[in-house]
Amino acid sequence: MLYRDALNLALDHAMEQDPRVLLLGEDVGFYGGNYKVTDGLYVKYGPKRVIDTPIAENSIVGTAIGMAMMGLRPVAEIMTANFAMLAMDQVVNQMAKLRYMSGGKIFLPLVVRMPQGVAKQLAAQHSQSLEHLFASVPGLYVFCASDSTSAYHGLLYAIKLDDPVIFLEHVLLYGVDFPLENSKDFNPFQARVLKEGKDITVVSYLKMVHDVLKACQWLEEEGLYCEVIDLVSLRPIDFETIYSSVKKTKRLVVVYEAPKSFGLGAEVSARVCEELFYFLDAPPLRIAGGEVPIPYNRRLELLAIPTPERIYSQILSWSKSHGL
Amino acid sequence: MDYEISMPQFSDTMERGKIVRWLKKEGDMVEKGEVIAEIEAEKAVMELQSFKRGVLKRILVKEGEEVPVGKPIALLELGEVREVKPPPPKPKEELKPQPLPKPEVKVERVGLPPGFASPYARILAKDYGLNLEELQREERLPSPTHARDVEELLLERQFTPKALELLKEYEIDLREILEEFPSQKVDEDMLLAFVEKRGIPKRLPISQVQKTLIANLSKSFPLPHYHIYEVFDLSLVPWDKDFTLTHWLIKVVGDAMQHFERLRAVYREDHYLVFPDSNVGIAMAVGEELYNPVIKGVNKKSLKEIREEVRSLRKKAEEGRLSLDDMQGGTLTISNLGMFGIRSFDAILPYGHVCIIAVGMQEEDGKTHITFTFDHRVVNGLHGALFVKHLKEKVLDREYIKFLKRSTHV
Repeated sequence: MLYRDALNLALDHAMEQDPRVLLLGEDVGFYGGNYKVTDGLYVKYGPKRVIDTPIAENSIVGTAIGMAMMGLRPVAEIMTANFAMLAMDQVVNQMAKLRYMSGGKIFLPLVVRMPQGVAKQLAAQHSQSLEHLFASVPGLYVFCASDSTSAYHGLLYAIKLDDPVIFLEHVLLYGVDFPLENSKDFNPFQARVLKEGKDITVVSYLKMVHDVLKACQWLEEEGLYCEVIDLVSLRPIDFETIYSSVKKTKRLVVVYEAPKSFGLGAEVSARVCEELFYFLDAPPLRIAGGEVPIPYNRRLELLAIPTPERIYSQILSWSKSHGL
Repeated sequence: MDYEISMPQFSDTMERGKIVRWLKKEGDMVEKGEVIAEIEAEKAVMELQSFKRGVLKRILVKEGEEVPVGKPIALLELGEVREVKPPPPKPKEELKPQPLPKPEVKVERVGLPPGFASPYARILAKDYGLNLEELQREERLPSPTHARDVEELLLERQFTPKALELLKEYEIDLREILEEFPSQKVDEDMLLAFVEKRGIPKRLPISQVQKTLIANLSKSFPLPHYHIYEVFDLSLVPWDKDFTLTHWLIKVVGDAMQHFERLRAVYREDHYLVFPDSNVGIAMAVGEELYNPVIKGVNKKSLKEIREEVRSLRKKAEEGRLSLDDMQGGTLTISNLGMFGIRSFDAILPYGHVCIIAVGMQEEDGKTHITFTFDHRVVNGLHGALFVKHLKEKVLDREYIKFLKRSTHV
């Protein structure tokens, strides 16, 4: 099932099961969503449950927070994570704080969905990966979906949670066909081990997971077996799964699309160093985007983010120069 | 006039294909029958030939992309093409399927003065009582030292070369052996004795054939299926060492399939694909592997031809030469475990087949337990039952059996 259809199915099922669930965002209704994630839901559930909003991200999230406070279960769509910067006051100061500041009296069963990442030549203001901004804020859950299974089950789980969730999608995955697995006890707080391996633990999430899996095929030809961990939740991160894998492999690589500095890679490798320093056989490696705004030029764009080729060559040269 | 080249279907179960490589560029002249692209589907790479002569006007699907069967992948401009002369044929090697290009990597090893080691290598060295710095000064360990260096040193020091080879086959914790033999060099016999004493499991690699089988069975088992269990009277079937029960059943079942089109069908999402001929697969064990080659057009073949074909397929299987063509096209499979004295069993559908027939041991009075597994998406209960009933009647039809018997004589 296409990734976008899996998200659509999750929304459809949530709306069917619970009349309090409703959608709002720019063009989510009549137009069916900029990336067609909400396609068909306007016709099925009508304009009261699928609400087209003005181009005002702060108001979209603010309105959704108000709805959630009063007992609805809104799912807001921000057209891309880049535009969520306009909604940061609501996200950081309200959404993340209300439960705490009301002494636990206010529940916010609210999901804010948004795609992020480099698509193809959408230039610097439309290509960012901003997960670290959200994942650094206590009071939020940050989920992300790397395939149709985590898209469907993860989004349904997020909608059923009584706490606010930022749900990250990747622009390039919408049109990709993944098998939708029937995992009834899907738990987003548990990272998924997509592939077992004995030599290197590779942690990734969103689209990079697939680039990592491709690189792993080449690495296997070189005799290096990677264990690939897909993070479904970026806040909180399932460190237990990472630790038990690193205890086995003694080596950690984190692959992500955002710029290398101050990202998830820093967090994960710092934690692993804190907890498992004496188990490590090599310094952790981060493979990430460059310290530049994403260029418009296609060649430069591809140089600014990890590709399967670069993931392969960086892991290979790192592991060779560190004793494998 | 433009002609659309679409993603072809190379096998019955193929649903999508990936363009591995375009062998022609846009604007290139294409001869009829010329290979224009390499397409990967179901782990095999196949060549796509052009059915027409023309100029490759546009490539619609790029290399590395995957599209469903039937989707247009290129446009060919037909009509009178005045090309000075066709380009010289490319050298043959270039047409071979190439694996994904793997980037070249330069590796520089870090070299440090003695005294450096990874945290884990230090722990290991301590566990095994090694003096890291001393060994580094003697250049028996590199600096920085990593876990693998320590392990390799220990292995070399503690085991004879033959024992080292043997060690790879077992799942052994090195520490355990070193505890058992703290100061001697371990040879082959000592290792084998240790393995036996501790009951240590051996690693048995899974063959590519078995891996494919596992993947296919795992795909087909969850599909909606049901069983029909019946006892057949096969006392009239005159099988012998030469024309075995399996040969006879292939023929009888193949003939019966002619009356049931759903038994000759392959399931597609919105239609069935019905083959005119009865194509019968046989579950064939060769060594540790299970193959499922297909005998095509059973309805048109005599028992003798079937016997010859089974023999040649078995020979190919034993030599590992079964081609994609030998294994595809089947809709029904026969699996016979009767010769091992198995009274009755049921079988899992081979992926893409609609029926598998599990044949048990023939008892003295000719009674034989046969279990049918049907893909319910294709064959509903009524047709399954009618098919089984038809078969039961056919094996007791003296005229029909006599007719088949005649074809076994030269």
